[in-house]
Amino acid sequence: MIRKIRKLPGRVALFLGLGLFTVFAAFPVYWMINTALSTDTELYKTGQGFWLKLSRLGDIPAKLAEVPIFSWIANSGIVAFGTTFLSLVLAVMAAYALSRFKFHGKGLAAFVLFATQMLPEALLVVPLFALFASFGLLNELHGLVLANTAFTMPVAIFILKSAIDKIPYEIEESARIDGCPRSGQLTMIILPLIVPSVAAAAVINFFDGWNEFLFANTFISDAAKWPASVGLASFVGQYATPLSSVMTAAFLFTIPAIVFFLIVQRQIVSGLTAGAVKG
Amino acid sequence: MPRIQFDKIRKSFGSNTVIREFSADIPDNEFLVLLGPSGCGKSTMLRMIAGLTDISDGELRFDGELVNDREPRDRNVAFVFQSYALYPHMTVRENIAFPLIMDRFKGWYHIPILNSIMRRVIAKRPEVRDRVTEVAEMLELGSYIDRRPKTLSGGQRQRVAVARALVRDPSIYLLDEPLSNLDAKLRTQMRAEITALYQRVNKSFVYVTHDQVEAMTMATRIIVLSDGEVRQIGTPEEIYHRPADTFVARFIGAPAMNLIPVRLRDGRAISDSGAQEIAQAPAHLSPGPAMLGVRPEKISLAEHPGSGVLGYISAVEHLGGESVIGFTLEPSDPNRLVQTGSTETVHYARVPGTAQLTVGTKQWFSIGDANLSWFDADTGLAATPDRSGQEVELRSARTEAPAP
Repeated sequence: MIRKIRKLPGRVALFLGLGLFTVFAAFPVYWMINTALSTDTELYKTGQGFWLKLSRLGDIPAKLAEVPIFSWIANSGIVAFGTTFLSLVLAVMAAYALSRFKFHGKGLAAFVLFATQMLPEALLVVPLFALFASFGLLNELHGLVLANTAFTMPVAIFILKSAIDKIPYEIEESARIDGCPRSGQLTMIILPLIVPSVAAAAVINFFDGWNEFLFANTFISDAAKWPASVGLASFVGQYATPLSSVMTAAFLFTIPAIVFFLIVQRQIVSGLTAGAVKG
Repeated sequence: MPRIQFDKIRKSFGSNTVIREFSADIPDNEFLVLLGPSGCGKSTMLRMIAGLTDISDGELRFDGELVNDREPRDRNVAFVFQSYALYPHMTVRENIAFPLIMDRFKGWYHIPILNSIMRRVIAKRPEVRDRVTEVAEMLELGSYIDRRPKTLSGGQRQRVAVARALVRDPSIYLLDEPLSNLDAKLRTQMRAEITALYQRVNKSFVYVTHDQVEAMTMATRIIVLSDGEVRQIGTPEEIYHRPADTFVARFIGAPAMNLIPVRLRDGRAISDSGAQEIAQAPAHLSPGPAMLGVRPEKISLAEHPGSGVLGYISAVEHLGGESVIGFTLEPSDPNRLVQTGSTETVHYARVPGTAQLTVGTKQWFSIGDANLSWFDADTGLAATPDRSGQEVELRSARTEAPAP
């Protein structure tokens, strides 16, 4: 719990600092919206104004009429939610096994999972392309889900393993005595206790999937199956870039991500403070 | 209500042997206490009874039926953990109901999401709801029933743990140092509550503790363990008055039994230095070195100076209704007479009232001839009277633990 700063000058300084930080962090978002509500003429010739021109909100559909932005966002959603779901299901089981079971090669398994984080994605694009081609996964969204899961799952495993490590064995043993089988111990006892960590892992996995560009750009050639990240990049032309349209699409692209974060952030915050409260 | 039989049970973790050989036969409805110092293997033994730890070797039987490979849930036991092990995300009601719900859970109910629905459905069944309420009322948890464990005090959490054990009506209750996290006052209260519970449910209890007061006040039978070995099995009275060896003698009682090194000669026990006669030696013991065990309450202040045993007072503790007097048999370094002295040579007497004695002075003590214990000076094993009337060679007088 943050200690209360009682003296007035301290409080003023704190709020000033936080205010500056907020402006610094939020200004690019504001400018994105401002650009989206400007015309290309303003952007390239007369210069855009500082204040939002909300009256131009009605022009947005016309700007995006030529591109299937909602379909791209839906594709991004499929990749992001698919990655999050698959990664969390596998990570929960892997983390539980790494935390609770003794088996030969446990250390090696943990190291190999960790080692996947050392390899840059770009290094694996070519071998993955060959692999995906032979499995018929190119140009498929579920192929993207698999590729992203492979990269994001180890992070989720480590987050969840450290959370499970903190749960005393006795609680599971108690459930065992009460007649609860292993699977039940995991789903009814362990999982509810690590919800904050699951939420944190979900955020990381979701944004990895949502922001994914490299694999999507390489593996998906059909424009209708592009996720929004690749779709946005396609706005950039050889001779011109319709900045206003790009920013409009980018703004729409950020909305689902913000909504997702707002939904899970309560769980994460409760997890951050859970250890600070004496039980 | 099974009879529990331990047949040459052994437990090792790799090369580390925790239980060397444990054999005992415990009848129905006993309040059995496994007593011993930390690390003696008593909790491991309890976990083996529960099925939480595998048995390396030997056989464990409930009513003659081998249970070595049975899952905990198939043993019909309840376990109260030292840390209580309550489910933090469930309310008191849900915690207590959990074993009943699990008893009614079918395999496919464990499918995620469905399991939480089925838990709620089963919890609302009248037989479950009423039983939970009944047990909660019995343990005076009614007003906390919808609270989470973290909002409860230590004693209340303890009661929830007991309620969770009680709700299934198991045949054996296993309790692993359940009072060690409570303060002294609450511990006394919970001790009485657990004893009352034992009398009420009339089932077998196996209780692990390192606290001899808990063992003496609650047990109908005690097994004293040390370094993974059974030192003695017996009722609290047997353990207290007829310890099987010097370890048990020193472990039970506060202050512990006095162990006085003596030499047996002509039917008399002479102090090691030969300076004074301590007690009459029983006729059945052979002459030679021995260890005399005397409980502190068997030593009193001599009425007439010059009779009994002369001691040099090294400590006087007034406990209100009684006094504990520490004394040595030999006046060692005069400067040390005013100190407590080495624990090896200080003996204790417990006398009623407030004894007006001064540290450093001499005092005559009387040691009654009844209820004295005699141990082999080398092995520490107790010498039991030989019924044939033959002399007992102390060096080879290995006592078998009294049969349960």
